Amino acid sequence: MATREAGKKMIMLKSPDGMEFEVEEAVAMESQTIRKMIEDDCADTAILIPNINSKILSRVIEYCNKHVPTTGATGAAASDTVAPAALAEDLKIWDAEFIKVNRATRFNLIQAASYLNIKGLLDLTSQTTIDTISDNSLEEIRSFLSTKNDYLPEEEQTIRRENQWAFQ
Amino acid sequence: MTASLRRHPHSPAVLPLDDDDLLSEILLRLPPQPSSLPRASLICKSWRGLVSDPRFLHRFRRHHRRSPPILGSFVEKALSISFVPALDPPNRVPVGRFSLQCDDVGGFSLLNCRHGLVLIFLLKHNQVLVWDPISGDQHRIAVPPSFCVVTGRRTTGAVLRAGGDNHHFQVVLIGTYKEQHPRAIACIYSSETGIWGNLLSTLLPYEARSAYTGMACVLVGNCLYWVLIGESPRILEFDLDRQSLTLIHMPVDLYATNACHFSFMRVEGGVLSFLISSWDFNAQLWNMEKNCDGVVSWVLRTTIELDKLLSLKPDDGGPQLIIGFAEDNIAFFLLTKVGVFMVQLKSLQFKKLSKTNYLSHYHPFESVYTAGNSIPYTVPITETSRFSMSG
Repeated sequence: MATREAGKKMIMLKSPDGMEFEVEEAVAMESQTIRKMIEDDCADTAILIPNINSKILSRVIEYCNKHVPTTGATGAAASDTVAPAALAEDLKIWDAEFIKVNRATRFNLIQAASYLNIKGLLDLTSQTTIDTISDNSLEEIRSFLSTKNDYLPEEEQTIRRENQWAFQ
Repeated sequence: MTASLRRHPHSPAVLPLDDDDLLSEILLRLPPQPSSLPRASLICKSWRGLVSDPRFLHRFRRHHRRSPPILGSFVEKALSISFVPALDPPNRVPVGRFSLQCDDVGGFSLLNCRHGLVLIFLLKHNQVLVWDPISGDQHRIAVPPSFCVVTGRRTTGAVLRAGGDNHHFQVVLIGTYKEQHPRAIACIYSSETGIWGNLLSTLLPYEARSAYTGMACVLVGNCLYWVLIGESPRILEFDLDRQSLTLIHMPVDLYATNACHFSFMRVEGGVLSFLISSWDFNAQLWNMEKNCDGVVSWVLRTTIELDKLLSLKPDDGGPQLIIGFAEDNIAFFLLTKVGVFMVQLKSLQFKKLSKTNYLSHYHPFESVYTAGNSIPYTVPITETSRFSMSG
């Protein structure tokens, strides 16, 4: 959770399970949904975030803290002394660690990223899901995602025939 | 006071994969390889419904527009246009899906390939044909009179979609005249307005008086570049924003060195490069730099030892001709005595595409292939499908 720093406007985010998170306004505004609320003057001090429990919301705030483009509370964001390429590399490594979560958490993060409109987090979570499955067989993908094959055998054959080259 | 965000329209208990909006958000990140969507279609009916939706296909192409794969190259050969695939199965789309269905073409010249479009000059009709090989769409546009075919006039051109616009395109034609006071002319067509703009013209030095039609132009930023040949070749820059034509000197005197062939490249960071192959199996890559006054200088970035890279034997000697380059994938195509190679400039990974040593320019087709997936599968309304769609 962010600590209060002199001169920085803070905002309170509340999860439906009653937890409160005090974050810098700039960090909260990584979410385009929250940004719009703040810019439209709809949020004075506290915003209730429905649908996202405290466990997921704290991870989302952790992500935003790291990615906010000014020197954030973690002290690891942009700085004059760090080259942009090195900074991007640092973020990439951090992202790779951040996304090492179980499937349920990742899906929850996708929902949160989409709902709060945080493009970077949506990219990271969705891309990781695709990367996990893209080298697998169709049956493995179905099993991994708990999806049922609802085609009749003849329907499946028809679709295969349409683009036979793609299944060689 | 506590403000509240609006509730998510979907129940929080719904998993992303059961939420069409989130699932399409995930599937958008499937690799831009041609087999991705046909394979995803086979997972289940709802996946097929999503990945055949024209809106999804539009977003998919847009999402990957900066990293389209090289599907293959269009090559003008024996009075026809053939397609040479660059991908291996299962991403090798059948060649037949890239054949131009066009009657009464007559003589033609394949000018350019960019942003999923092919530009062909129909000499007999004094028209340019803009062809979208994936959708099959064709547009025939009459060229302005100054570009009509006459002896001593050379015409080349470019096709592009400005700013990622998927609906409209632009055609730029460049013409040169062999006359006492040689000059280059240029004109832009916009499909949005359906008209050609004003004719631009610039005088050319006698020693660089002809547009070189053996190599495609390159788009860097908002400028297009062509080579002008003669006793002392130059580069012609056409600035699309300023609508201006400028001449630029070459990195080296091509005739004073042992250069045997050359090509443009667009390298990382959107920089214009010039690749020069020499008779001693080397290739030099020169990057163009412009200072704040617009003065151009060239910096030698790297030298590639082609013989070592491609394991060419001394017997395989002869000119190493750079017969094409891919703008988005930063690769070049090299014709050697033993065949055509595609070389990635950064990694120097290469692939032999054909054994031919027939000289013909390669126009790489870099695009996201979504055809064959655009017809939505209508799920028959049966008890089974109702059950499967909700469960």
